[in-house]
Amino acid sequence: MRKRYLIGGVILIAAVGYLLYMALGSSTVYYVTVSELLDKGQDAYETSIRVAGKIADGSIEWNAEELELKFAVVEGNASLPVIYEGARPDGFKAGADIVVEGKYHSDKIFRASNILMKCPSKYVPEEE
Amino acid sequence: MVDIGHIALIIAFVAAVYSAVASAVGARSGSGALIMSARNGILVIAALYTLALAAMMYAFVTKDFSLKIVAEHASKDLPTIYAFSALYADKAGSVLFWGWLISLFAAVLALRKHSSYKQITPCALSILGVILAFFLALVTLVVNVFDKNPVPTTDGFGLNPLLQNFGMLIHPPLLYVGFAGFAVVFAFVMAALITRSPDIEWTGGIRRWALFAWCALGLGNLVGMWWSYNELGWGGYWAWDPVENAGLMPWLLGTAFIHSTVMLRKRNYLHTWSFVLVIITFVFVLLSPFITHGGIESPLHGFYASNYPPYILAAMLVTLVGSLGLLYIRHRGFEEKEKPLSFISREGAFLLTNIIFVVLVFLIITGVVLPRIVEGVGGSKMALDRDYFDWSCGPIMLALFFFMGICATLGWRKSSWHSLRRNLLYTLVPALIIAIAILISGIGNWYSVAALICGFPLITIFLEWFRGTKSRHRANRENYVRAFFYLIWSNKPRYGGFIVHIGIILIALSIIGSSFYGAESTATLDIGESMTVGDYELAYDDLTLKEDSSKLKAIASISVSRGDKLISTMHPEYNYWFTQMATIAEVAVRTTPAEDLFVSMAWTSYDPEDESATFRALVNPLLVWMWIGGGFILLGGVIAFWSDRRRQPRSEVNSK
Repeated sequence: MRKRYLIGGVILIAAVGYLLYMALGSSTVYYVTVSELLDKGQDAYETSIRVAGKIADGSIEWNAEELELKFAVVEGNASLPVIYEGARPDGFKAGADIVVEGKYHSDKIFRASNILMKCPSKYVPEEE
Repeated sequence: MVDIGHIALIIAFVAAVYSAVASAVGARSGSGALIMSARNGILVIAALYTLALAAMMYAFVTKDFSLKIVAEHASKDLPTIYAFSALYADKAGSVLFWGWLISLFAAVLALRKHSSYKQITPCALSILGVILAFFLALVTLVVNVFDKNPVPTTDGFGLNPLLQNFGMLIHPPLLYVGFAGFAVVFAFVMAALITRSPDIEWTGGIRRWALFAWCALGLGNLVGMWWSYNELGWGGYWAWDPVENAGLMPWLLGTAFIHSTVMLRKRNYLHTWSFVLVIITFVFVLLSPFITHGGIESPLHGFYASNYPPYILAAMLVTLVGSLGLLYIRHRGFEEKEKPLSFISREGAFLLTNIIFVVLVFLIITGVVLPRIVEGVGGSKMALDRDYFDWSCGPIMLALFFFMGICATLGWRKSSWHSLRRNLLYTLVPALIIAIAILISGIGNWYSVAALICGFPLITIFLEWFRGTKSRHRANRENYVRAFFYLIWSNKPRYGGFIVHIGIILIALSIIGSSFYGAESTATLDIGESMTVGDYELAYDDLTLKEDSSKLKAIASISVSRGDKLISTMHPEYNYWFTQMATIAEVAVRTTPAEDLFVSMAWTSYDPEDESATFRALVNPLLVWMWIGGGFILLGGVIAFWSDRRRQPRSEVNSK
């Protein structure tokens, strides 16, 4: 009986370990701040990254015909120009918190494949 | 009025401390007077909590902006019905509401006649007293939920328009009912350990509390998904965000516990395991506010960032160490009386299912905390995207459905290979043949095989119902319809469980259909232009601008046709909210049993001269079955819950 539990346990752990290994390998995304990304410069080109920040005032250019959204993500004094192709998400406005996911290119523009607005399900007003 | 609320909470805190101590001492010394006094203390807490909540709601309804919580989450134009949404939207407000539910449940427990429980109930009330004292401390000592607004205002910040939705009115309370219910289950289990009550009589009561909590939590999660789908405009319902996982994990553990209670009741088996499950479930219930209050960063949900996380973390550690320590000391009194005779038995399958649920939770929690651990040991800041969860949890969930199907065909103790083979011949073999045919013929792919695995338990359930109905029809000469209902009524926990299984299977099929067989299209259209998605053609006919006190509405009119035939007109909206200075889409959904057509407006300029607008359209196959599945879960849960009202003799239960 004991042996059976042992064998079962080993199979289970092996299966879970395999799943973890497979799943972790393909889905890790690195988080950086805007200034960290700019410091990294060319080391950061062409790798999947997430960058969090705020949408810069007056930076939003929305081309509805081409479904192209250009804006800048700021954090402190650092600013990162972003291009995203797709629909403009809800709540997209200057000053909103945003996470952009995609790749940084040698032309110093971040091409986002995905943009996540902070879902304000727990809405807190900006506190002065 | 406001001061009454705060004072009520402070008195309730004192009463909770008193009741916890008095109930424990009373239970230990057998002093009836002390037990009664503690019991009355619990009733007083519930009354005071209710008073405080009433004071709070009065402040919300009358828009008393001198209160900080009201000024932060309500505004003059907020409809009264959303006063509750505004309460849940606050960090301390949600904890106030949750604690109030625990106090109500404790009062229900205190009011029940419990001659059969003797020591256990006072002891459980003592544990609940401790939990209540903690929750009361959070809303009085740590944060004063009745805090005055430092700056006088004539109008509040207002409630996020996304939360002004029916789904958001019932999603949080359902979750909190589930969480509070699991607190009661936890208190009972601790009480059984402390009072060394090895008899399983209390499991009947526990099973119902767990079922109740589980059902509420499951439906709460589902309503959250419904809200996300109908309100957020991204067309999805689940993103594996930490906040969502926080609600899912206790539910999965609760599911495992409900299955292990069957073993407790029928076979007096798996005691220690069940206790561990309840303890871990409660720790995960506490993890939920830890995550939502900013203890673990969530990329999607905005921060509530409160100063609660350290206190909640401390509570989690105390709970974990204290209860597992107690279990270690006491577990010898609960040694298994009977070992399973065979792995090929329902016991074996139940045990395996239980383990799979725990593995599932392990994979999810790994995905939630691993990035933080890597960061904590000095690694780079990282995240796991949804692929991690899909690829690690997906196969495990499929395995669950497979065992769900196998389990129903197995008997207790030991199934013979012969009967197993015969049962599988009727179910698994046809399923396998269809799966191979699907793959070879090329009409389907691996996803359709996944759908088939989820459908497999459906076949075994129907087969079982068919056999049971037929034998009743033969034995009692009942007609088939009558025989079917009597069959279900004769063993409500079992058949209620099957109905829940059907609900879960429908949800799984809906997830597979909408994730892998949908279509999506985005386009900016001028009036008169059209776009296609799937086999639908959407023509943009008209845009109307309307203004009310809180928002400027842009309402589009879209004619939907399929194969040259006009089938519907849809009206997605794109609204600008003045107070929040934000645009929010109101999606339009056309639902049929086969698929949903989902249209959201992603942009328009509000310029009467330029009526062009961007639309996002999705076809989500089978999506409505997700909500229908929720209905089945509720129905099955009620049937299974009903069963204990008249206790059936054990022999009758076992014979079925």
